[in-house]
Amino acid sequence: MAISDKDFEQLRDFIYNICGMYFHTTKKYFLESRLTRRMEATGSKTYQDYYLLLKSPRGSEELKFLMDEITTNETYFFRNVPQLAALENKLLPELVETKNKMGFRKLRIWSAASSSGEEAYTMAMILLEKRATLLKDWIIEIVGTDINETVIAQAKEGVYNAYSVRNIPDMYKRKYIREDNGKFILSPDVKKFVTFNKLNLYEDSKMIFMKSFDFIFCANVLIYFDTASKSKVVQHFYNNLQPYGYFFVGQSESLHGVNDKFKTVHFPGGFGYKK
Amino acid sequence: MDKNQMMERAEILVGAVDDLPTIPIVATKVLQLLDDPDVSVEEIADLMLTDQVMTARVMKLLNSPVYRPAQEITSLKRALVYLGLRHVRELALTTSVIDVFDGNTGALDLNAFWEHSFGVGMVSKIIAQKIGYQDLEKAYISGILHDLGEVFLSNFLREPFLAVLEHIKVHPVKLVDAEAELLGTTHCEIGLSMARKWNFPEAYCDVIAHHHAPGEATVDPILCAIVNLSDLFCSVRELNYGGLEWISFNLSEEEAWTILKNESPGLATMDVERFCYELDDSIPDIKELVSSIFNPS
Repeated sequence: MAISDKDFEQLRDFIYNICGMYFHTTKKYFLESRLTRRMEATGSKTYQDYYLLLKSPRGSEELKFLMDEITTNETYFFRNVPQLAALENKLLPELVETKNKMGFRKLRIWSAASSSGEEAYTMAMILLEKRATLLKDWIIEIVGTDINETVIAQAKEGVYNAYSVRNIPDMYKRKYIREDNGKFILSPDVKKFVTFNKLNLYEDSKMIFMKSFDFIFCANVLIYFDTASKSKVVQHFYNNLQPYGYFFVGQSESLHGVNDKFKTVHFPGGFGYKK
Repeated sequence: MDKNQMMERAEILVGAVDDLPTIPIVATKVLQLLDDPDVSVEEIADLMLTDQVMTARVMKLLNSPVYRPAQEITSLKRALVYLGLRHVRELALTTSVIDVFDGNTGALDLNAFWEHSFGVGMVSKIIAQKIGYQDLEKAYISGILHDLGEVFLSNFLREPFLAVLEHIKVHPVKLVDAEAELLGTTHCEIGLSMARKWNFPEAYCDVIAHHHAPGEATVDPILCAIVNLSDLFCSVRELNYGGLEWISFNLSEEEAWTILKNESPGLATMDVERFCYELDDSIPDIKELVSSIFNPS
């Protein structure tokens, strides 16, 4: 069923206000098809019915199903290109300069909700490329955490399908990925920079020990949290960053109204949050 | 290099161009006529209709997503009534400037230039609305005209300007800083020199000269701050001259943001993220507008 502009805007505002995720107009047809599935599952006849369901007391339960549909729950290497470009071209060189002045040559990066490890390993590849130049003699630590032990095991194994690796630039693919019978196997050179642990972002007693990171990534996770939990988790991220560190969320996500301490830094194609 | 030297250099460069385009005679006449407090809509319409290109462009601009009249306006007279005579001056100015540079082959991709300019115009209007600035059209037109000097550099200083563009490809500096370093002047001073030659109203001269340093504005710092911010937002989105320069900014450190927050304290709680996402959504509208103005079917 075709969604009208009015229904689209109403649902977009609702999803944005509750989850902090913005649906671009170009994604209208995508949203339409995902909504159709959830409408069938819940017996909603019109978009208006479905909107009312989301607003009802049963709505928070249904919203989780909807978010699962629209985030597709899949991740891949080199996912957020503008973010990576900003990091590589500007934020990392700046940070290295600051830390060089302090004589502190150690870089710590955290992929929070690392799933099967693509984001963490993407960072490892980018940094590995700079081992001979910008990051010569630097200690690099990349940590991936997730609540789900199955995906942690997958991340540690480092074997991927064609979908996951499709965005990796050729230069990196040639160096760090080996194809074997339709499987894509990550080089041990990349794997050795990353450790994976189980962590629940809600668990305060564990969160306070995740200290001194320079960059923290947390994409497509906060959208599942209510505002109070979101604020609490983001405050942890804030505390766990070095004074000049950056926090990144996923494409189309927003922290507006969640934390007023971070400063938004804009760069081509996106923005990040600076401590 | 100090500001005065850069201005002197700009005056010399602009003065040295013998075939600097002039804005069409009709536009000048319209501007003169509009200074007469007793002028009627009919008189202006009759004069403008003698320039068909200008008339067509005014109509296109008017029916664009920026003005969004409830119904399409098809007669020039109705257009003038709808806009109010005050804004006719600005439209005449804008359409003339578009005309002057249309079809020129300089170092810049003219389409990308106008997409940036109209993008900054549109965003300036939105910011002006948010902070309660009294003249939205003025904000819009200022945005469109702010980078006028770039077209001059692109057309009349083609080779040195190409060197500037090459320079910023490999050095992460702003275009305006690279111009100052390599050309001894920037598009701000050049633009101001042209705007004065063409007798632009003072407020526009101010924006053209100070859109990179709104704190130095003398006529309307608020307007300069609006255009400065719009310029920044467009420069990090798909309205960035095809990605010529690598810009990043932190609002809390921007002078323009401080100026506008003083003017309208509510701005401090603005949802900047959503503003950016909505801006992305409006880019196709802007591209369509530019395409309709420059490739009339």
